[in-house]
Amino acid sequence: MQITGMLYGSKLLKHVEFPTSDVLGPGATEDEIQALIARHKLIFIKPLFKGGIGKKGKSGLIGKATDLKTALAEKERLYFVEHRHENAVAKANGVTFEGGVPADHEIYFSITDSTEFRAPTITLTHRGGVDIEDVDARYVAQVPFEALTGLKAFVVANALSDIGAPKEVISPLVQYLPRLWELMHHYGMTTLELNPIRMRPGREGRLTPVACDFKCGFDRDDPRWQRLGLPDHLFTADTSEFEQEVNQLRTHQGQSDVFVINDKGTILAPTFGGGANSLVTEVLGEAAIISSDFGGNPPYGKMKEVARICYKHWLRQANVLFIIGGKSNNTDIHETFRAMGDALREHFSEYGPTPLFVVVGRGGPNLVRGMGTLAETCDSLNLPYRFFGFDSAISEVVNYAKKVDTWMKAGGRAEIAQLLGIKSPV
Amino acid sequence: MHKTGIKGFPYYLGLDSLDEVATRTDRVCVLNILGGESRQVTPVSHAFSGGNVVFGTSPGRRGQRLATPVGDIPVYNNVREGLSDGLSFNTGVVYLPPSGVRDGVAELIRVNPDLRKIVMITEKISVHDAREIRALGQANGIDIIGGNCLGVADSWNRVRIGGALGGDHPDEVLLKGSIAIFSNSGGFTTTIAQYLGTEGWGTTTLISSGKDVYIHYAARDFAHALKNDARSKAAVLYAEPGGYYEHAVDFGKPVVACVVGRWKSKLTRAVGHAGALAGSGDRAEEKERWFMEAFGVDALFTPEHPVVSAKGAVVTNIAHIPAALSAVMRLNGETPDFAPRGNLALKPWIANDQGLELPAELALPTVEAVSPYDEQIKGLRTQVGAVIPRQNMKDKSGATVMDPRTQVTSVHGYSVLDLALQPLEANFALPLVHEIATENDRAMLDIAVAAEINLVGDPALAAADAARDAGNSPNTVMAAATAIIGPKRVERALACSARLIDLFAHSGLLDGRDESFDVGVIAVDDETRALFLATEAEANDPRPEAMLKAVHERGGRSVFLKFLESLGGRLSRDAILAAISTTIAWGPLMRKRISRLTAETLPWYLRLYGVMIGASIPGRDHRRGSLCGIPRDERFGRWTMAEFLFLALTGKKPTEDEVRPLQILTGLLISNGPGSITAQGAKGAVAADGPQSPDRVQINKAMIGFLSHSGYSHGGNGFEGMAFLIEQFRGVDLKDPSDPGHGLDLKAMALAFAEKYKHDKRHAKEAGSDGPRALPGVHHPIFRGKPVNYDPREQFIAEYMSARGDYNVFHAFYRALVQALYETGASRYVFCVNIDAVIAALLLAILWKDYRSGALSERDLETAAFNVFLYGRMIGAAAEIDDHLNRGRNMDTRTPQELCAFVV
Repeated sequence: MQITGMLYGSKLLKHVEFPTSDVLGPGATEDEIQALIARHKLIFIKPLFKGGIGKKGKSGLIGKATDLKTALAEKERLYFVEHRHENAVAKANGVTFEGGVPADHEIYFSITDSTEFRAPTITLTHRGGVDIEDVDARYVAQVPFEALTGLKAFVVANALSDIGAPKEVISPLVQYLPRLWELMHHYGMTTLELNPIRMRPGREGRLTPVACDFKCGFDRDDPRWQRLGLPDHLFTADTSEFEQEVNQLRTHQGQSDVFVINDKGTILAPTFGGGANSLVTEVLGEAAIISSDFGGNPPYGKMKEVARICYKHWLRQANVLFIIGGKSNNTDIHETFRAMGDALREHFSEYGPTPLFVVVGRGGPNLVRGMGTLAETCDSLNLPYRFFGFDSAISEVVNYAKKVDTWMKAGGRAEIAQLLGIKSPV
Repeated sequence: MHKTGIKGFPYYLGLDSLDEVATRTDRVCVLNILGGESRQVTPVSHAFSGGNVVFGTSPGRRGQRLATPVGDIPVYNNVREGLSDGLSFNTGVVYLPPSGVRDGVAELIRVNPDLRKIVMITEKISVHDAREIRALGQANGIDIIGGNCLGVADSWNRVRIGGALGGDHPDEVLLKGSIAIFSNSGGFTTTIAQYLGTEGWGTTTLISSGKDVYIHYAARDFAHALKNDARSKAAVLYAEPGGYYEHAVDFGKPVVACVVGRWKSKLTRAVGHAGALAGSGDRAEEKERWFMEAFGVDALFTPEHPVVSAKGAVVTNIAHIPAALSAVMRLNGETPDFAPRGNLALKPWIANDQGLELPAELALPTVEAVSPYDEQIKGLRTQVGAVIPRQNMKDKSGATVMDPRTQVTSVHGYSVLDLALQPLEANFALPLVHEIATENDRAMLDIAVAAEINLVGDPALAAADAARDAGNSPNTVMAAATAIIGPKRVERALACSARLIDLFAHSGLLDGRDESFDVGVIAVDDETRALFLATEAEANDPRPEAMLKAVHERGGRSVFLKFLESLGGRLSRDAILAAISTTIAWGPLMRKRISRLTAETLPWYLRLYGVMIGASIPGRDHRRGSLCGIPRDERFGRWTMAEFLFLALTGKKPTEDEVRPLQILTGLLISNGPGSITAQGAKGAVAADGPQSPDRVQINKAMIGFLSHSGYSHGGNGFEGMAFLIEQFRGVDLKDPSDPGHGLDLKAMALAFAEKYKHDKRHAKEAGSDGPRALPGVHHPIFRGKPVNYDPREQFIAEYMSARGDYNVFHAFYRALVQALYETGASRYVFCVNIDAVIAALLLAILWKDYRSGALSERDLETAAFNVFLYGRMIGAAAEIDDHLNRGRNMDTRTPQELCAFVV
């Protein structure tokens, strides 16, 4: 859940009265763009990406214009531009037009929680406008502060003193930057970054910090962000239809954190426990369709709904339904297996049978009862299965599931299809 | 007052040694003690720790108590009340929902000056609250562990605080030893402890740290306490990507670090970048490197490449932890704490290959599970047959389904098109065993049904004849006979099959045909023996001997018959019927494809099949020792179901060429899914008896439900197509409908009809009337609208017959007719020939010669068409009845009042 860019950034910053550059959205008319150019002489045209992706500037994705014709040409170039940075790929859908802010100083400022200090921490330099990693460490202040009292003016003042910031920027920054803590802490953010903040001279040479770019991340577990009234679609960019559907069930009572690993994968592995998930996803590699953690003792109804969604999206392509976890501490195995079995039965009722081999590796309360119930379901659906207890190494069970997958690809799937009376190509 | 922490740390840390983390003297207060998770976990923790929970809180529930094996724990509205009651504690455990955790921590800290530690179990605490919790703990000198964790445990002190480390049987996992565990994963904290036991390593203190952004008790804190714990010789640390908690930590003792999560860096989703602090430099690869540098190793440890130093090893698979630890400890001159317990090799506990031939590496045999699970699994195995959950089955079926695209119905996974090609014996067994019966089982079924068809001397026949004489339709005639075959008529047969299942269920017998099975191991008491043997009243019934003779003649194999014959007395017909049905049901029962209820009731269905077919044969043809003149031994010893049906329709024995079309015909008619009127009738009859008390469901009455829900419009209308064809072929010299050299110009016949039809249609339109009646066997509401249309079911049968070189002139006429209708302009496109046309064509061909000769009247043809429908549909009805009996709920087919309407 991230927001980048000034289109929404400027709206958020208004909550704490932090000055921002002048921004028009993708629906701006030519007259409005012309007026923006008239006000600011220079404007920037930036592609609109949902979510967060870095290094846009370095990739030539920020256009400049001093006339309408150039602005429109840049709009056309950037409107649907695709941007790749490391593993992340994003496609733009629209552009913003942002008025240039003349300034001699560019500031970098961020607040996030540091695992080094185990405290909220600001990062600040008066040599901003570039990637923070590229700034000489002498000019970068990283200062943790106490969450209960918050980011106080003196913390900013001390930090600016430490890095030798020019005196003319100190007072306005000390006055304005603490407001950003209010925005970050009270609206459920985990990170907030403004780069650059351009120090715009006003009357009598007094500088005003103006945010010219904005990034923030929200905490999915914190409902405070809903106070901001942001449209839901902002957070749908980087999730598939499946992830959106399944993650709606995300509550504290039983986890359901799910990612799609390979939408061409052949092993559907509902995994229990974060550790098991990490291990299983690692060992399954390309074969894994999803990465999931369904631990935390999910109740029957929730588990069944999660399984229903997983089956609906992925069971047709799956060779192996692989239910795997360590020896659970308090997750009731009978309840979770019963839910997954019932969902499987209902899936077969609704969508017809699909060739599948069921592999289970699990331990925990009510284990044998759970295995018995699931075995009954597999028997009634005529599906082959092998259930391993917790005394088999998880990694070996994962390897067994991979071997089954290989066999399924080499003709096993067709054999099971025949067993199930499936005639159409499988 | 500000507490002073351990010197040398830039923040507050109070726990100086691991042996202080969870001690026998710690006294615990649990917040939200009556919450769902705590209610399960706290009693186990409390009992394991010798009763360390002094009280819990749950607002509004003061006075309640949480029962535990070592006494109840009192519950108060809040912490202050508990303290006011004179209770004291030094450790708080938080089970509150995420939004309440921060306030709970504040309550513990503000209210209780004796507080030293807090363990937060709750997951999904917001970062906002975690920041403030950290600050609260730091400001007040409290050690906080978690959140999103499973707490802490100590194998030496036999204490666990907070979560469920060690699960519901902590004794199994928390084995006293010399290794400390610190894990980001709660589940793996327990799993690692269990794995260590396989190399003989026990544990000291186990800490589930959680893996939120804020890990309140982190690796650096653990390392300090590890150094100061004399009991711990080494540690295992499990870490996942994210955060700098493990960076540049000096552990001071050997450590095996397990880092899992390289896959996370391959995720293609956009990840935010907010400066250098978060989201970079802390991937799994980097964490591996931190540890490798700390231990002085240049590679990861794997069994194939066991790289270790005296300081430690790095693994990426938790299964490698025990071996890595042993290798590290050897370099330190340390030996395991105890003899290895078990191993981590693959051990399937429960498996079923469903008859597939799996490669050896997959077909791992099941092994006996560790105690106590072995006994529980044995308990599962005492369960014979499938267990099917009950649900509302109105308009639903677990037996049949129609594909809306092709209109083809499947019964237990087999399409009726495929079933049409199967011998009828297999089809009669399918609804009840859910599989295509083997040749042996088919022969057995022939005998079982053959023994029931001749109803001479049976009141069922008198009832059927009386119904027939009263002018009833064929279904009503059948229903009259069926009513006689009530529960008492099958009581002993069902008791016999139930007893056979009891006797053999746990004998190890998997295949009912396996006559090498030693029946001598089955113990029989007098009462059981008497159950199977014929009574004196049955002395004149010749059928038991005839049935056994037929079994031997046909080479039938049955462990159950062999067993009964070993009893050394004259067997009853019921016992033989039960033995045959149990033979057929045994494999599917053992493979849990069918329920025990289905297997036990199978004799009832077999008897009903015979009686229903028999009732369709007029009473005059039932004689002692013969049926329609066919002697008993011949019928029992050689006849098939298709031959019986042909006999019932025509009174004659068929040739092979006559049998096949009848078999196809019957197969096609088996089912049209649970929505068909016949199925609804059968299901309603089961629902009304109450399937939740299956003993009270009258299966014969359920068959009557199907029969009463067929009639002249549903079942009897099969004659319409035949009547149409008779009209077209009236006055034509057709001797053999299966001879392609019939010499008829079908195209000319079709064109002549089409011209007339078109004329009638136009004339009717001009006259403003409805027009000529719809043509039977032509057109279909689904398969329409294309230039040329096909009913896939008709195509399937046509292709099958063509491949065999079979010919049917009526079918050929239908195909010519749809073309002619188009060519003459009577239809806008080429209609399909539908499945009803195939049925009419096949049946008329079977009966044509007798019709031509005058042996059968048009009325007889109508009766025959109706009966063929009933023969096919009785199979489908059996499937629905058995399914509803197993799955349904009492009265579940009723329609709620709000869905009913009143009309005027």
